[in-house]
Amino acid sequence: MTSKLKFLTLESLKRKVKTKWFLVANILILIVILCLFNIDSIIKLFGGDFNENQIIYVNDQTNITYEVLNAQNESYTKILDDEQQVFELKKTNKSEDEIFADKKNKDAWYLVITPDTENTLKAKLVSDGYISSYDFAQFNGIINNAKQNIALAQSNIDQAELAKISKSVDVERVILDETKKGEEEGTQMIMSTVFPFVILPFFILSLFLVQMVGAEVNDEKTTRGMEIIISSVSPKVHFFSKVIASNLFVLLQGALLIIFVGIGLLSRIILGGTTDISELGSSAGIDISSVINEVLTSDIVNNLVYIIPLVIILMLVTFVAYSLLAGVLASMTTNIEDFQQLQTPIMIVSLIGYYLAIMAGVFEGSLFIKILAFFPFISAILAPSLLVLGQIGIFEFVISILIMIVVVALLIKYGLKIYKVGILNYSSKDLWKKMFKALRG
Amino acid sequence: MLEVKNITKYYGDFLAVNNLSFSVKPGEIFGLLGVNGAGKTTTFRMIIGLLEPTSGTVALDGKKIDYSVTDKIGFLTEERSLLTKMTVREQAIYYGTLKGMKKDDILKKLDSLLDKFGISNYKDKKIKELSKGNQQKIQFIVSILNDPKLLILDEPFSGLDPFNVELFKKQITEMAENGSIIIFSSHRMEHVELFCKKLLILKNGTDVLSGNLVDIKKEYRKKNIIIKGDIDVSEIEHIDGVVGIEKQGLEYEVKIADLSVADKVFEIVKSGHNITKFSVEEPSLNEIFIAKVGETYD
Repeated sequence: MTSKLKFLTLESLKRKVKTKWFLVANILILIVILCLFNIDSIIKLFGGDFNENQIIYVNDQTNITYEVLNAQNESYTKILDDEQQVFELKKTNKSEDEIFADKKNKDAWYLVITPDTENTLKAKLVSDGYISSYDFAQFNGIINNAKQNIALAQSNIDQAELAKISKSVDVERVILDETKKGEEEGTQMIMSTVFPFVILPFFILSLFLVQMVGAEVNDEKTTRGMEIIISSVSPKVHFFSKVIASNLFVLLQGALLIIFVGIGLLSRIILGGTTDISELGSSAGIDISSVINEVLTSDIVNNLVYIIPLVIILMLVTFVAYSLLAGVLASMTTNIEDFQQLQTPIMIVSLIGYYLAIMAGVFEGSLFIKILAFFPFISAILAPSLLVLGQIGIFEFVISILIMIVVVALLIKYGLKIYKVGILNYSSKDLWKKMFKALRG
Repeated sequence: MLEVKNITKYYGDFLAVNNLSFSVKPGEIFGLLGVNGAGKTTTFRMIIGLLEPTSGTVALDGKKIDYSVTDKIGFLTEERSLLTKMTVREQAIYYGTLKGMKKDDILKKLDSLLDKFGISNYKDKKIKELSKGNQQKIQFIVSILNDPKLLILDEPFSGLDPFNVELFKKQITEMAENGSIIIFSSHRMEHVELFCKKLLILKNGTDVLSGNLVDIKKEYRKKNIIIKGDIDVSEIEHIDGVVGIEKQGLEYEVKIADLSVADKVFEIVKSGHNITKFSVEEPSLNEIFIAKVGETYD
């Protein structure tokens, strides 16, 4: 019987892997990952004005404002440390019409500064298109600071006093527990890595798993091949062969995804010469090499020694539970459409876990989210996030794993009873009655 | 020998099979007949161990049928039970291996059977690409790959043309001669008559008629007389014991209640003209089936 289990498992795995669609899907996934890792290069390749500074033509009729304004712009840029937001000031004597007559200046702004006896300065900002509130607020801050400096200079205050007033306040940032700083930054970095690289693939793979088991059991049921198979091997062997094969497939697919990510990183190094993927649009700004360095030099490395194995164990146990549940549900249904309907609530439960994991960082310390981290199926997504964020400890995480193991044991014990009856049932009449009867044995 | 002893199967409160008993020796072909829903498939499933009887036992050579003996059993289901995305070769390896066979032996046997059924060129074709008749051939081939000791055939001739029915019959007979126990159901009574030495008719899960076909026909009182020639039909109709007369082409079929009526009919026929045939025949199995079950097989 062991050899038949092995045969059925390998055959089931072969049926999933030795298809042109598996190859096509993985080529497409690789292409998508390559594109994602190099999305900034691709965007730049097609060009656009996203990388250019906002040019402001300044017609300074006061003859003293331009220099002060320019100095304020430079100091503002230093504070922001974001070169993308820099205004590039250009002094001009041209009129508004002359500036905008030149097509190159279509996106430029035109600023006219005139003296004002009551308010020191008066300004007029002209643009061809809409100026966002954010950009205007920045500009407004710069020109107001410039105005204050000019007003102070005109107040007959001596140079030393003026310099003191104009100088910005030095704010010294002190964090009492320096280790906390490193830990916090490390955690944030890991969290921003965990989500796209661990939670999201897990969610996708679990969807994959449920679909695969359901489709295969239904295929054998609808073609009545099930009767021939079950007349040769026990339902238990058949059930476990599906569970093992689908989990092996998911592990294989997971390994391929890791390889694809590696290829993606490599392509980024080759094409862009950097591992900095902060330009991918992530607000977190992940630099893989700096994450590794940060992690290795911080205390979190000690935690990762147990976090990684625990997360892997929880995810593997959850994969097994998903495949068992999918097998049981598929055995009860008579076609793939019915199975898809039946699996929807389970997928919604997982989706809740997915969103809660996203929200865990926002609602730090939420008791509701903590309790749900123990809930089977949700726990595989939520508990790792909470563990990394430090909202639950190793003890709570181990409890999550134990709960999931109990669920697996229950699925094997009671699910198998349903499976035995379900796989040879072709009618949806009195379905639940039949299944409850099967549960009672 | 296959021994089915007092098997009963309930689905909830519904009695599917009621205290059924029969035995089939090696080399015998046993017909299990009944209208749809009579309990045939449930009986087949209990025999091969897919279903546990509510009570009673099924034994092959004195041993309960479980997964230790299923390698010796072949099963052809009424519906197509092929995995249609596979090729014929893959399907044979799949089902053959599940019957405990080695790949080389499977392929050797497959080649010989494909050749026998004249479909060697379909070996690497996907099952879904084959016609209904050829799919049935493949289904039959994969069910006998393991040279089963017990072969269960649920409607084996479904979708076959007369030529292929003959091929199947030849193969089934050959297997029986080699000592296989064969149980089958068929809608075609003429096939059952030609094949089976023993049969059992099920009605609502209950055995309404069983035994050797020859004995069943002998014991069945009603007979048919086939007459060819010019006869006085109305005179024959008035004889006590004549159930009915039907004209079939140039012949008359006179149904009689028992053999004693044949003499009375013969007395009248003697006075007729151009009589070229007078033959007292056994009733067909179909007639017996209708009489016992109260409806046609279909």
